[in-house]
Amino acid sequence: MQIYDLSKYKQLFKEYTEVRIQENRNTSITVLNGDVLSNNRSSESGISARVYKKGVWGFSSNPTISDETAQTVIKAATENALYLNDRVRKNKEPLPGNPGQSEHDFSTKKPRLSQKQLITFLKDIDNYILQKYTDLSARTTLLRLLDMEKQFINSEDSHSLSIVPRSIIITSLSLLKDNQPFELYEVFGGFGQFEDVFEKPDDLFKKIDKQYEHLKKKSEGVYAQAGIHECILGPDLAGILSHEAIGHTVEADIVIGGSIAINHLGKQVASPLITMTDFAHHALGELCPVPLFVDDEGTKAEDAVLIKDGILKTFMHNKESARHFGVQPTGNARAYQYSDEPIIRMRNTAITPGKDKLQDMISSIEDGYYLMQASNGQADSTSEFMFGIVKGYEIKNGKLVKGIKDTTISGIALDMLKSISMVSDDMNWSCGGMCGKKQLIPVGMGGPAVKCKVKIGGK
Amino acid sequence: MQTDRELVTYCIDKMKHAGAHKAQCYLKHSKKHELNVEAGEMTLLRTNFDTSIILKAIIDDKRGDIKINKKDISSLDAAVAQVIEFAQSSYPDKANDIAEKQPSKEFTAGPESPDMDLMYDKLAEFVEYVPKTYPKTVIEQAIMDFTQTNIIIQNSNGVDFAGNRGVYSFGVMFTSKDGEKASSFNHSGFDAKSLDKPLKDYATIDSLLKQSSESIHTISFPGKIVGDVIITPDCLSSFVYYISNMLSDYMMISGSSAFKDKLNEKIASELLTLHANPRSPEIAKNYFFTLDGFEAQNITIIDKGVLKSFLLSQNGANKTGKPRGLNSGGCYVIEPGASSYEDMISSIDKGILLCRFSGGNPSDNGDFSGVAKNSFLIENGKVTTPLNETMIAGNLIDLLKNIKGISQERINYGSAIYPCLHVKGVTVSGK
Repeated sequence: MQIYDLSKYKQLFKEYTEVRIQENRNTSITVLNGDVLSNNRSSESGISARVYKKGVWGFSSNPTISDETAQTVIKAATENALYLNDRVRKNKEPLPGNPGQSEHDFSTKKPRLSQKQLITFLKDIDNYILQKYTDLSARTTLLRLLDMEKQFINSEDSHSLSIVPRSIIITSLSLLKDNQPFELYEVFGGFGQFEDVFEKPDDLFKKIDKQYEHLKKKSEGVYAQAGIHECILGPDLAGILSHEAIGHTVEADIVIGGSIAINHLGKQVASPLITMTDFAHHALGELCPVPLFVDDEGTKAEDAVLIKDGILKTFMHNKESARHFGVQPTGNARAYQYSDEPIIRMRNTAITPGKDKLQDMISSIEDGYYLMQASNGQADSTSEFMFGIVKGYEIKNGKLVKGIKDTTISGIALDMLKSISMVSDDMNWSCGGMCGKKQLIPVGMGGPAVKCKVKIGGK
Repeated sequence: MQTDRELVTYCIDKMKHAGAHKAQCYLKHSKKHELNVEAGEMTLLRTNFDTSIILKAIIDDKRGDIKINKKDISSLDAAVAQVIEFAQSSYPDKANDIAEKQPSKEFTAGPESPDMDLMYDKLAEFVEYVPKTYPKTVIEQAIMDFTQTNIIIQNSNGVDFAGNRGVYSFGVMFTSKDGEKASSFNHSGFDAKSLDKPLKDYATIDSLLKQSSESIHTISFPGKIVGDVIITPDCLSSFVYYISNMLSDYMMISGSSAFKDKLNEKIASELLTLHANPRSPEIAKNYFFTLDGFEAQNITIIDKGVLKSFLLSQNGANKTGKPRGLNSGGCYVIEPGASSYEDMISSIDKGILLCRFSGGNPSDNGDFSGVAKNSFLIENGKVTTPLNETMIAGNLIDLLKNIKGISQERINYGSAIYPCLHVKGVTVSGK
């Protein structure tokens, strides 16, 4: 990482100003049925400036990083802020601050693998699947690597430098059963550069065996019965529930924009068993999948305890929303590319583990479902949510029976959370999540398994 | 200082000199001016300049791709060295290729630069209009931008295209509130080459704002039916997206597309004709050539229910042995039907007007299910009550065959033109 002296640009600041230099590096390899379908890398870097003037912002960016372009973007962002202020005339007060300083380089200390070695790693996985599972109609192995490097200063005493990497392998298996196609994918890896996350292909083989087993059961399985059922949502589902159904409704910009969460602050919104936090960098003593120490406005990133023992406690804030609500910013302002302005984003959102054993939770259900994996999820300002379910099982008389085919669950999160009656004592992070609110950005989602009542869709 | 065309030619020559048997270079400059509104207030003016250079090299049928956003010679030289290493590191696949030589052309559409004062004035007018006309409706977010792109693509077979496009885009997301009750959020938008009327009058913006203001107090669909659904133009884009995925590279190459062997066969009601028209003057957000170096042509994907084209790239066509799509998809246009919207509604005893679909990705066999958002109950030939907690389920392949009617009226979004579709056989269920 090339270190830049950003402090010298402070002399150019005429209003409250932020300057960020950033590089995102993506590597993508796709092996489909043995053929290398994609083999590419992208590097996008540049410099941006954002300027605040009495309630409005100006922003500008340039892909060339130099003293000259630093001057250009600071000048353009200042002019943009002044143009808008001149037109809008909001006359708002200065923004609150909680300046943070940090340097965190999470890149590997090991020798880097070559592209050839990365492709070979994937081909070895593909070959294992090909040799062992001859009844598959298609198999795909994907590698997705992302390194985000950021350097930042602002008019306050904030400065930060960070390298936050993520490395993911996704395997997707397909087979035909009675001429009907079935597919199941699995995501491996997460925080860290490839060399720190994956050692050898063999380490994934047992997990792929399990994935195949689930796929077989899904292909031989049944359609879930439409209607409201007692269900166990596995950690993957609890994570997406935390993020989509609750997290977005308590992002302060969404709250200001009309989310019903505004009516529930300080009130019971969930079972007393539920505590949910957007963690900044550490959770339960361990580093989170997307650690953030100083956000992209220069605010010291702190945990936002959103729900405590079932009561809605706070929202996630940037500086502007913190001023609106008269609270401290929580450090939730994040930008994906150098050319993006920071907006309120989640970081690592999770339900805290409870005291129940997963097996006891399953045993407690006479007729219901264990829902294990979601394909996607969406939620609304009303807290109505929808998740696509791609892996799950029927529960009959306390035992897992048949696999289920793809289905969808939906409901009102604030109702569903109140129905939670058991929370498992373990915790798992989904580390491959990307959130798509205006800009894509990596997020961590996690939790234990929860027992609740939820509506299953279907014919 | 070299021109962009000279830089692209430099990269092609450099890749060939470094051992590439086939090489392609794509260079894009973009300049974006963007105004943002949050919670009903103007908040941000953004000016971004960006550059994107994508190099593709093929050596002994092995391919690598590198994308950077710098165009100084040392960055280009490093990118060329890396793309050669990537190609050498890969495995041979005879499907890897570049476009054959076509006549060189330069294309231009839309204005070269924005009228910033006009952009501001139109947005300010909209920000004032919404609360005045719909007092219960809040603009959560609105983005008005103008983006100018200049693209050059060349390859070692002699392909040489340049395309210049300027387009205004507007997107708005909104919610309506009454006390503690809120509507679902909804969104709309458009792309246009000029701004010659109030923003509310483009596409479906004003009608969706009105719907939102009337959708605060909702009910769940009473009971469960397998019946009629009118899919609005705003919602149709989700279903066209699912269909286009089934005709595109990944699902076709993996063999999971239900349509993979259906070329020239009937896959839909004969009422349905679907085009992808990137060269149509009706489409403001158009494009001129594909990322793999072919001049884009308008195509008919489904002609009176018969599948006439896949959306395969050159690589996808080579891998599947099926014909290449003559464009990269998008810019979809559905031909109007014979029914009026009013007649379609009045023909339904009980069903729903599906205005937004929030669902899981359909299974490979086409099964889908999800929530009907911002939607309305249809009873006795009339659109009546706004709905909540209402799910729909069906099968995409059956849905295409079960089209009962297509409206005469269509909406031009600037990126697509859609009518309303009347379909039967969809399961609709309430709480």
